[in-house]
Amino acid sequence: MQVQEYKKIMIDKDQIVPVAERMRKKEIWLTMIHGFVNKEGQMEICYDYQVEPVIESYHVVGEMTVPSIGDIYDVAAQWPEREINELFGVTFEGLDVSKRLFLPEDMLETQGKGQIMVTPLSELRRLNREEAEET
Amino acid sequence: MSYILPIGPYHPALEEPVHARLYTEGEVIQDAEVFVGYNHRGIEKLATERNAIQTLVLVERVCGICSHSHAFTYAMAVENINQLEVPKRGAYIRVITAELERLHSHFLWLGIACHIIGHDSMFMHIWDERELVMDLLEKLSGNRVNYAMVTIGGARRDVDDDLRREILDACDKLKAPLDRIVEIALTDKTIAMRTKGVGVLTREDAVRLGALGPHARASGVNIDVRKDSPYSCYEDFDFDVPVVDSGDVFARVVVRALECYESIKILRQALENLPEGPINLGTKLPKIKEGMAVTRHEAPRGQLTYMVVGDNAFNNYRVIAHVPSYKNTPTVPHMLRGNTVADAGLIIASIDPCFSCLDR
Repeated sequence: MQVQEYKKIMIDKDQIVPVAERMRKKEIWLTMIHGFVNKEGQMEICYDYQVEPVIESYHVVGEMTVPSIGDIYDVAAQWPEREINELFGVTFEGLDVSKRLFLPEDMLETQGKGQIMVTPLSELRRLNREEAEET
Repeated sequence: MSYILPIGPYHPALEEPVHARLYTEGEVIQDAEVFVGYNHRGIEKLATERNAIQTLVLVERVCGICSHSHAFTYAMAVENINQLEVPKRGAYIRVITAELERLHSHFLWLGIACHIIGHDSMFMHIWDERELVMDLLEKLSGNRVNYAMVTIGGARRDVDDDLRREILDACDKLKAPLDRIVEIALTDKTIAMRTKGVGVLTREDAVRLGALGPHARASGVNIDVRKDSPYSCYEDFDFDVPVVDSGDVFARVVVRALECYESIKILRQALENLPEGPINLGTKLPKIKEGMAVTRHEAPRGQLTYMVVGDNAFNNYRVIAHVPSYKNTPTVPHMLRGNTVADAGLIIASIDPCFSCLDR
């Protein structure tokens, strides 16, 4: 039985754009951009490319401001970048974040200053409850 | 005269919340914007507070149409991290459920597409055939919507000999109606007039915007995870990937209709060669080992991707779900430009969008 391969590659933020340009030139699909806060408390942003049959995942660690690859991969990059911006507060230089993608506008004030994924659910519930009591 | 026309968030055809804003000049759409997020339930966040078995239940609720795809892909990610090898029979049962799911999803979409263009007799005919598939899914899993056929390490329910024969008979029974549906889809004037040349997405745009699944294949892009990066037991089956070049709504109808034949082909092979043996590893509640895995599955609407991060605990450290509609929905404004307002509903629906999946 075959298992899909996954290759993790660590890069600096300066390499994000050259890697994206190289992949785009070869017509390689950007599977997704996603992120999480690792155990050391650092932001880890991952750029996954479909270099069939392998997923090459380029990780950038410890950066809260990175260049956008929206002009290279268009909306395929812009939407996930906007999502990471909403959930973790990461700034993508050159990305238009004037409109919200998934979360409502007032989410920013009540649920962890745009860092939904790094605030425990119990804490988010407490903030919501406190806000409801105040109003 | 130019004006802005809002559609949704309650769309009369899709019954799912999405808001499109059309910037029009007379009847022609000059530009468009799509707004999502009306159904954001924080599934990824909720998954971080659940163990692997609870997460299977949770991710199945992401979508009512492709629920098995979510559980299937998530389970593969956990199995990759924990280095579990699913027994062959379990992998076959997963594929059988996935292909039945693709059949019912494509029948559903073809029916809705006919309903939108006003061909209601065709809509009823297609949905009548879909019931046959739904009955099989109900017999297989006990449910019509959330099948719960997947567990970590294999399948949760077996396929006995009676059911195996029944699904094989159904594959024969579906052939004639499917031939009729394809014949009507290819020759009917109403369908041709409403769909040919409408909502075109060129191959260049499909590649640039990262379109996936039948939506991309209707624009001449040969992309299918089952072939490009085989998983589970898809390498055991002989099937084709239908690709059409014209990139319009008609091409999307044709691709999905032809894919139904391929699903039946896979179903037949899986059922005729169903291996003997256990259906799962008997794993109860696994700890998710330290590590991460990305897994992909060709869901009915396109490639579904899950990423799971484990830290040697029962609960997930992080779960990320990227659904096909995440890539296909942003292509909608490109397809709307230059078309008339009357076709907007059909063009939005032509990607077979799932906003419940997209919002998560």
